[in-house]
Amino acid sequence: MSLRDLENNNLRILTKNKLYSLLILACMAGFIWLFMSGQGVEKASPEHKYELCLIKRITDIPCPSCGATRSVRALLLGDFKAAIYWNPFGIIILLVMIIVPFWISFDCLTKKSTFFQSYQKMEGLFQKKWIIILTILLVLSNWIWNIQKGL
Amino acid sequence: MDVQKVDMFLMTNAKYFDSHEVPRIKTRLLEMDEAEWSRVQFLQFKDPTMILIISLFAGTLGVDRFMIGDTGMGIGKLLTCGGFGIWAVIDWFMIMGATREKNMSKLAQALR
Repeated sequence: MSLRDLENNNLRILTKNKLYSLLILACMAGFIWLFMSGQGVEKASPEHKYELCLIKRITDIPCPSCGATRSVRALLLGDFKAAIYWNPFGIIILLVMIIVPFWISFDCLTKKSTFFQSYQKMEGLFQKKWIIILTILLVLSNWIWNIQKGL
Repeated sequence: MDVQKVDMFLMTNAKYFDSHEVPRIKTRLLEMDEAEWSRVQFLQFKDPTMILIISLFAGTLGVDRFMIGDTGMGIGKLLTCGGFGIWAVIDWFMIMGATREKNMSKLAQALR
């Protein structure tokens, strides 16, 4: 292995570790938020709503992913219809939050990088034009639906 | 490579990279042969300042991350209202470094 290959390999490991720790942190933050909001969402009065979304606070217009917390909470209670109603993104978020920690710990235990490889493959998918356009359309339609619902 | 050409390249493109990377880039460019030059010469880099402006306005939607090619992170930011708004704010300070890092890896790929 030449010096340059070694350097590239080092760079790759660095970004992999960075990605893994970031994702674990994000998942942890997600669970903590879920727990915290669970303490007060139902009891909160309209003036004291749990709102973290910057866009909604500033402009009063919901963003494409507003309602995701309510959606995830509905999913956890088994109410699939309500989850779809609040925000279909909630399903993706819950899946990621459940799968990612297990996958990463599997990778760490077996010293493989299967998750990193699939992550890169997924990023590669988004180089394709039709996937990009489809995603943008989906997000935009969800946004319009959110504004219509007045989340 | 010709010293003059390399200096010219660095003069116009140094702002796209971390300052501590520039000497390394210079030595690598100098040891490169003429045939590879055309590949490097016409590379397009993302301007960190422009990405910062995008991050300030559309960071909660993850647009900044999408633009520098960090699609996975972009999706993460989009789905979580910019990481509950916290990540969006952190990214106002991180995004310029991330952009330079992405530029560096693009150049490294061309130099390989």
